[in-house]
Amino acid sequence: MMSSRFAHAKSRACIVASAAAVLSVGVGVAAASAATPSAATSSQKTFVIGATSSVLKLDPDVVTNFLDFQALGVIYDTLVQYNASSQIVPDLATSWKYSDGGKAVTFVLRPNVKFDDGTTFTSANVVASIDRAQATKTDDPSASYVGSVTKVVPEGKYKVKLVLKTADNSVLDGLTSVNLAMLSTKAIKAGTVAKTPDGTGPFMYKSYTPDQSFTVTANPNYWGGTPKLSTVEFKTIPTESSIAAALTAHTVQLGLMTDPTVATHLSSAFRVDKTLDSSYRALMLNSTSGPFANEDNRLALECAISRQNVVQAALLGQGESIGPVPLGQYKSSPISAVCPTQNTAKAKQYLSAAGNASGFSFTVLVSDDIDATTSAAMTEVQNELAQVGITMTINNETTGQYVQDWLAGNFQATYAENGANPNPYTMYNRYFGTGASLVKPAGYTNPTLAGLLTTADAATTPAAETKDYAAVSTYLTKNAVWDWLFDGYQYAVMPTDVKGFVLPPDRQLYSLKSVTVG
Amino acid sequence: MLLVISKRLISTLITLLGVTVVIFVILRLLPGNAIESSMGVNAGLLSHAQILQLDHYYGIGESASSQFFSWLGATLSGNLGVSLASRVSVSSLIGQAFPVTLELAIMTMILALLIGVLFGIAGALRPGKLGDAAGQGVALVGLGIPSFVIGTAVVTILSSGFGYFPSSQTWAGLFSNPWLNLQQIFFPALVLSIGIGAAIMRTTRTAVLDVSTQNFIRTARGKGLRGQAVIWRHLFLNALVPIVTMSGIQLGYLLGGTVIIEQIFVLPGLGRLLVTSITSHDYPVVQSVTLLFAVCFVILNLLTDAICALIDPRQREN
Repeated sequence: MMSSRFAHAKSRACIVASAAAVLSVGVGVAAASAATPSAATSSQKTFVIGATSSVLKLDPDVVTNFLDFQALGVIYDTLVQYNASSQIVPDLATSWKYSDGGKAVTFVLRPNVKFDDGTTFTSANVVASIDRAQATKTDDPSASYVGSVTKVVPEGKYKVKLVLKTADNSVLDGLTSVNLAMLSTKAIKAGTVAKTPDGTGPFMYKSYTPDQSFTVTANPNYWGGTPKLSTVEFKTIPTESSIAAALTAHTVQLGLMTDPTVATHLSSAFRVDKTLDSSYRALMLNSTSGPFANEDNRLALECAISRQNVVQAALLGQGESIGPVPLGQYKSSPISAVCPTQNTAKAKQYLSAAGNASGFSFTVLVSDDIDATTSAAMTEVQNELAQVGITMTINNETTGQYVQDWLAGNFQATYAENGANPNPYTMYNRYFGTGASLVKPAGYTNPTLAGLLTTADAATTPAAETKDYAAVSTYLTKNAVWDWLFDGYQYAVMPTDVKGFVLPPDRQLYSLKSVTVG
Repeated sequence: MLLVISKRLISTLITLLGVTVVIFVILRLLPGNAIESSMGVNAGLLSHAQILQLDHYYGIGESASSQFFSWLGATLSGNLGVSLASRVSVSSLIGQAFPVTLELAIMTMILALLIGVLFGIAGALRPGKLGDAAGQGVALVGLGIPSFVIGTAVVTILSSGFGYFPSSQTWAGLFSNPWLNLQQIFFPALVLSIGIGAAIMRTTRTAVLDVSTQNFIRTARGKGLRGQAVIWRHLFLNALVPIVTMSGIQLGYLLGGTVIIEQIFVLPGLGRLLVTSITSHDYPVVQSVTLLFAVCFVILNLLTDAICALIDPRQREN
């Protein structure tokens, strides 16, 4: 039997244990109530943008990560840029004119523009920037955008001419890319481009902590007027639910998201801007061998799939069915020349024509690691194809293996998320053009298609361009080169007191220069 | 004694060398290379000349053995190399991330020991009563619910209920802003400590129950010692060895186990750095961070043994 003193000691131990636990939580909650006002106050000083990825590289010529484009895009200017309707509008070039049958384009440059290092922007900067992008040692993946440029000729301080190998309208689209930003000649010579970004844009580089944050401050010398926001921080927040929590706690003022289940379920205290993603999902078919060498099999696939159902399954309906050109003024209309909507009867007819009335089998290469929509989208496609007798086996690979097999064209079909561009030539010449660099993953070559692309790129009038790109769209779907599925939305979520922010289709954050809070 | 220490150090070095070889081989067995990891399918847009240039930059053309010995030699001389992704020195990346994870681990252990030891003793002193039931409840939650579920729930409740998510602010150093730093580290540590505290609580409860049936405890009570003195001087001290051993093991695992919590609570620690580096095939960072984890684990094991020897004279004699 225990003594009463010992029993009291045990009771005290119980009380101490409970008190410690309560104290732990109590301290936290006390901190919570004490800290909330200071969090709100600090957020007014720095405008924080939350994103799941982080800025990886500071050299605009070599970036491939999307947040890098967005963050460096507010520091650097380009000669031209896209507006909200995906049309090319002036940036550092105030006007441009094609000559010599489309084989030269002359830009008139904006005067009185200063780099952050104090030097003035002139035609010499255009020459130096394009030279650097084209140099092998720079490893600029977008060097091909200016692959047709043979010479950059300054014509005075504020005029510059690009001499082209052949007529090439897409060069303007290429020049909208941050990969072809206008750089300071002084920075290029000093070798500081990759270390301390130095542009002419609305914001100036302040600091960079890898995997954590990238901070910029307002450029008082910006040619378009000093931005209202004094400091903007791009903060890495690894999960979208944590971004939502940070928005709710007012420690983040703008959340960049892709998951509709998070972005569209925040309270009414937040405004959600959405735009179609600048990348699209498609089933890329390898026509060089296997079942997809037969065009009727490809057409059967195109007719058997309901793109609407795939959007519903993969994105809970938060996306759009698309054709080969998902955005911009040349957007595919109709989505498909053969089956704009699901038509299983027609799919069966194509199967019969292919001599596969009972269907056929193939394997699709996918990677869950790369695209979170993969499982849902592919399961839906698998079920729909089964209805017409097509058996699709899903081969899910890790990122590294997927990229290797994709680049080598080592697949019968692959579910891919590819970059879209308002200019179809920029999108598809790399796959189907003459001497295309991605001919293996494209899995299809045809001189007619290559010719259509070249013709459209050399069109001299807008009407001709529209007609020629419609022909490209029609060719791609009529021959079922690939099966274009859908495009999801990108979301920008912000408190309602954030004014002036617009998320354009290219997802660049140019409108930050006009943003005000409160 | 000197011989024992020497043997221990040699086995430690062999363990660490083994770890480096295993990490190196595993990383090279992963499909894809640094160019493809860095650029994804955009790597297909590079010209042949550009690929050659990048091969040289990333050292892809060199043999695996040459890469290994080059890295090992540099590491031993204190040069951890440069991150392939951000082109920042690995030592500076680790220098930023390590204090965060270390602080998180220490705070977690403090809370876990508070939860584990106090609930463990309370449960052992009155098995089946309220204190024991509460402890078992904590253990059930801690061991049964994954920490990422508790973490997500905590973040959601705090942010939507109190408008509070301090760790989503820029990381505050312990010395530059201790109050904000404490707020940033407290909740992730609390979430992690529930699982670890549960394991410590079970060990404590079993050890204290075991010791409480020993004759010397009855003698101590019989001599009229006060309850507190019996609990802390006789019961707890004699049950301490398994508690210290369990805590040492948990702390070792904790250093490498903070990955998900660092993601949820936006802490820029080593776990997050490791995940980012693995996905981008950033070999120098992955190798160095993993080696650091291994070194910490080995040092913690040594420390645990030393503390146990300090506590228990029988272990010193052995």
